Amino acid sequence: MKLGYLAYRNMVSKPLNLILSLALLVLSVSLVTYVVQLSKQLNGQLSKNITPFDMVVGAKGSPLQLVLSSVLHIDVPTGNIPLQEAERIAKNPFVASATPVSYGDNYKGYRLLGTKLDYLEAYGAVLADGRHYNKSFEVVVGSGVAQRLSLGLGDTFVSSHGLAAAGGEVHDDKPYTVVGLLKPTGTVIDQLLVCNLESVWEAHDHGTPNKEDNEEHEGHDEGKDHDGKHAHEHEANDHQDHPHAHQELEEHADHKHSEHDGHDEDLEITSLLVKFKNPLGLIQMPRYINENTELQAALPGFEVQRLMGLLGSGVQTINGIAIAILIVSGFSIFICLLKTIREKRQELALLRTYGFGTPKLLLLVLYEGLLYALIGFWIGWILGRLALWITSNYLQSVYGYVLQISGLDVTELWFLGVTLLIAVIAVILASTSIFKLNISKVLSDA
Amino acid sequence: MVTTKNLQFAYVGGPQFTFPDITLQKADHLLILGPSGVGKTTLLHLLSGILPPSQGTISIDDTPITDLRRKALDRFRGTHVGIVFQQYHFIKSLTVVENLKLRQGNPKDASEKARRQALAERLGLEALLSKKVTQLSQGQQQRLSIALGLIHEPKVIFADEPTSNLDDTNCERVIQLLKEEAAICKSSLVIITHDHRVTSHFSNQIRL
Repeated sequence: MKLGYLAYRNMVSKPLNLILSLALLVLSVSLVTYVVQLSKQLNGQLSKNITPFDMVVGAKGSPLQLVLSSVLHIDVPTGNIPLQEAERIAKNPFVASATPVSYGDNYKGYRLLGTKLDYLEAYGAVLADGRHYNKSFEVVVGSGVAQRLSLGLGDTFVSSHGLAAAGGEVHDDKPYTVVGLLKPTGTVIDQLLVCNLESVWEAHDHGTPNKEDNEEHEGHDEGKDHDGKHAHEHEANDHQDHPHAHQELEEHADHKHSEHDGHDEDLEITSLLVKFKNPLGLIQMPRYINENTELQAALPGFEVQRLMGLLGSGVQTINGIAIAILIVSGFSIFICLLKTIREKRQELALLRTYGFGTPKLLLLVLYEGLLYALIGFWIGWILGRLALWITSNYLQSVYGYVLQISGLDVTELWFLGVTLLIAVIAVILASTSIFKLNISKVLSDA
Repeated sequence: MVTTKNLQFAYVGGPQFTFPDITLQKADHLLILGPSGVGKTTLLHLLSGILPPSQGTISIDDTPITDLRRKALDRFRGTHVGIVFQQYHFIKSLTVVENLKLRQGNPKDASEKARRQALAERLGLEALLSKKVTQLSQGQQQRLSIALGLIHEPKVIFADEPTSNLDDTNCERVIQLLKEEAAICKSSLVIITHDHRVTSHFSNQIRL
């Protein structure tokens, strides 16, 4: 009979004992794997999302908020900026590429992003099916959105105002048509519906069908100062049709729109995503913009690093606690093995009379210890992944972020090694009595 | 088969025992009689090699086991010696058949499998094979204990008070079983007891 089998039978013969001694190990492993995976994936996902852009230019406010909203799409925007000013920045010699983005509507909680096709290129997003949009109200759909909302080519939908799924005004007069589906990129694009800038502008054009009379107001539900650029002259005649819009628009008391009605200067975007030609731009441009214009420049790399720094200390604290639990769990395995050896003294002595030498008995205890560690590790690992899956579902519903539920990774393999090492130490400490086993005495004691 | 010379044993700070020399031929039987406290179990532990004597030598099958090192002694005991303990000792987490397999050298071997089956049948254990040992009755445990003492066809079987807890009928039965099984595997049989009901069954006797 295999020693491993005997160790296994010994272990499962006392399930309550087993659960008790494994509880701490399971807790520790699930905590460590969960936290490490979560921070690693968030970090990876964030840096993947910010890589295409060096700088974001948007309305004044919190730079972190600007990055979170315009690059990562997990926050509300700081406000809008005039397209004209954005275009001036885009002409700067330091700038390699400048991509305007404009948004403020959603479809079932997924953001509709008005931008140029460069945006897709920047993330390396390629079409899986269909074609790119070439006119207003045509939309290219990120893979995650397509999958979750079961959108296919030719499908139409109407967007609703705001960035949250519920409660916004529905723009039911301007349906969007799906013309393209994107391949998965593992970036924020997977969770977006991408259309041209004009779509966003026109969706919010509540006035006459005259295209020139554009006004747009995405982001206004945050109540930010928009420098009064919103056109409200249509209020009177549009009143009955769009009571919600009216309510919202009233917040913006300043009406200057009539002064330059029907001109491109009135167009606004939410932010401008900039890639520099060389690092010099990174040093000079943000400072210039922040000091000399009404706009705000934020560096995604810097902001995300700051954010991860804050998260990192939390991660370290939790990991510290988990390691402490791991050490205590080592003690619990040790005590459990010690107890087992004491209780099974007679059986171990019996095995000696069956011809099992001391090394085999040590091996038996070692197997039992390693089995504890392995089972504890796997249960903990699975619980950790389960927690990750639950978190992923939560993040998915709130932010549209998806976490990968992956197999065992290298850090976890190391952690498994540490767990086994602790078990081995526990076995060595617990098994000294095996060397001193007095078979004759043990077997004649009733 | 079993020979001892000048065998002595002293417990630390306890009684000292001196045992008469023993000579036992192959497949012979020996009954060692004596009241409690004269060192019967001590002698059995010395003979089966689980307790080293203070003085003297023991040979089993021409092997001087008192000269064997710990590891060699463990191995020798495993193959050549069978012990039927006074208190039953089993691996409690295993079933009856698993306990039997554990005692066999090569339980997957066809002949050992046949031996296991035949022995279980003779001892009335065949219906209990898949039961946990803790589910067995006293009498069933006794028979399993005997089976474990001789399933591996040892050169010599040592039985420590095998009849002490039994009524007359069962006492008779157990002695018969031990004799039959010893005959089947051509083992020598050493029984240590204070039970005088056993004396009539054995001609070769030593009194301590």
